[in-house]
Amino acid sequence: MAGAIPIETGIAPAVLETRSVGRLLSSNRKFVVGGVIFLTLLIVALVGGIVLGPLALRSGVFPPRLGVGAPGAILGTTSLGQNILAQLTQAIPNSMLVGLLAATIGTVVGGLLGLFSGYFGGKLDAALRVLIDVFLAVPSLLFLILISSLLRGLGVPAIAVIIGAFAWAWPARAVRSQVLSLKERPFVQVGMLSGLSGVEIVWGELMPHLLPWLGANFINAFIAAILTESGLSILGLGSQRDMTLGMMIFWALNYGALLQNLWWWWLTPVIALIVLFLALYLVHLGLDEVANPRLRTQG
Amino acid sequence: MIFWRYVYERLIICIATVVISVTIVFFAPRLVPGDPLGAVTLKLSQMGGNRGSPELVAEYSRRFGLDKSPVEQYVAYLRQLAQGDMGYSIASFPSTVGDLLKGAIPWTIGLMLVTTVISWSLGSIIGGVVGWTGGRSPLLQALVPIALVLYTIPYYILAIVLVFLLAFYWPIFPLTGAYTIGAQPSLTPGFIFDIIHHAALPALSIVLVSLGWWFLSMRSLIVSVKGEDYMTWAEAKGLPRGRIFWGYAFRNALLPQATGLALSLGHIVGGQLVTETIFGYPGLGYLIFNSIKTLDFPVIQGSILLIIVSVAIVNFVLDLIYPLIDPRIRYGAVARS
Repeated sequence: MAGAIPIETGIAPAVLETRSVGRLLSSNRKFVVGGVIFLTLLIVALVGGIVLGPLALRSGVFPPRLGVGAPGAILGTTSLGQNILAQLTQAIPNSMLVGLLAATIGTVVGGLLGLFSGYFGGKLDAALRVLIDVFLAVPSLLFLILISSLLRGLGVPAIAVIIGAFAWAWPARAVRSQVLSLKERPFVQVGMLSGLSGVEIVWGELMPHLLPWLGANFINAFIAAILTESGLSILGLGSQRDMTLGMMIFWALNYGALLQNLWWWWLTPVIALIVLFLALYLVHLGLDEVANPRLRTQG
Repeated sequence: MIFWRYVYERLIICIATVVISVTIVFFAPRLVPGDPLGAVTLKLSQMGGNRGSPELVAEYSRRFGLDKSPVEQYVAYLRQLAQGDMGYSIASFPSTVGDLLKGAIPWTIGLMLVTTVISWSLGSIIGGVVGWTGGRSPLLQALVPIALVLYTIPYYILAIVLVFLLAFYWPIFPLTGAYTIGAQPSLTPGFIFDIIHHAALPALSIVLVSLGWWFLSMRSLIVSVKGEDYMTWAEAKGLPRGRIFWGYAFRNALLPQATGLALSLGHIVGGQLVTETIFGYPGLGYLIFNSIKTLDFPVIQGSILLIIVSVAIVNFVLDLIYPLIDPRIRYGAVARS
């Protein structure tokens, strides 16, 4: 459901100066709290990964099924004797990488398509509109299942790219409808009359209005991508080589951690995912409030 | 005239969805290096099976039409699909893909209908009441952060926690399946109870998460309706509070809520597929999961196509219905947006 966060379409937010955006964001409690949690997770995981070293990921380093608080493996071990803490230090940055790559691809591709489709109109726009509606209607998880069941043995970045390739429809539609309404505004008309080229108007006049919204959408896509990756992993289509939070859950379920009462094995990635989602959601709410002044006044 | 133009546009999108997905489903396996049959036999041999002699492979290619050009194959594939023929399953060979799908569909549709109806109506009612009464009851206000957390969590995460708590730790509900193994499907009260007993946990995990979402969106809809002029007018007329809420606020907020239902269909389907996997619930999601494990590609293709085509058709029907129930959406306006 996280992908269905409602987006205020149609209203163009006022252009914000870069400096005032920074000030607004740093005084927005939701944004700051979410951002701090996110960064803490990332830094702790990265530093932890360096401290533990690559050897800690091997199976059999520890006795199997150690409970929480075991010396050297404070979060316990799997039934293969893998250190769950070490897995977590690899899984958190990898899951974040999936979100970052997929959201970047989806937002950039979708944003550009929507921008040019909405601005230039014509036949290209008509075709793109059908294409956008098609990809909005189809649960993209299905195409992803199809593709990743064919291409086994992919790494985390490749999976992220594939997820991103199916994440452009929402931004494309929303940007397109915003551009359609912005195009009728006087300042764009003035730009056209004064002989600016199409590209100049798109970048100079339209882009500043779209950026705050694209930022909020980026976080939204970030959440959706992590969600999709973990869903794919639980279906058995994740990266077999690298650890992500979804793959940790997959392996735990696969080896019957639930039924053997090895709760630390499945609960660790579950809690990590929930914390990550909440942090990102707070950042999203904060960005939304800054991008959309109407939400800000409501508190 | 505008109505027919709108219908025509929606129909184009519905048909485009089906055509594009059939094309992707057909060509995706052929874009992977190696021929499709070779890929299957290679994977089978990697799993410890027999790769088969070259003559056998050649015979199979001829029989499956793999020696023809891709375009000819595509046309043949379309013709087969039109006749409802999706080929044979590899893992459970004598069964066709159609047989397997027929076995799985009722479970998926049943679970989805029940959970969607429950979560949508409950979420709308509770959200409406909380939005209406505003900050007066701290108990009701406490529901907002709870709903936020629930809605941020994906279905399957909650599913795992529920399996652990209510099926393993306190074994109130069964761990997997849709009915007790060996039970004879019949319309007896005992068997019906068995089915409900097995469906309860998957349903609960889906309902709890989506409830949070419908609750939040209804709450904000009611809050915005509260500021409308006709609400002030109704109050000024001295209408009873209950009448104002149900007849004015709730009814008007319900329409966008129905539109939201149509828009989130894709997410509902996707979430349900993964949830079924965790509960071993024998619907389409679990079928796909098992087919992935056994590399049963025709079944994966068939299930994916079936779901996409159904979603496209349901979307088309909903697109036609909701301007009828919401007169504020005009066909022309929708068509232009």
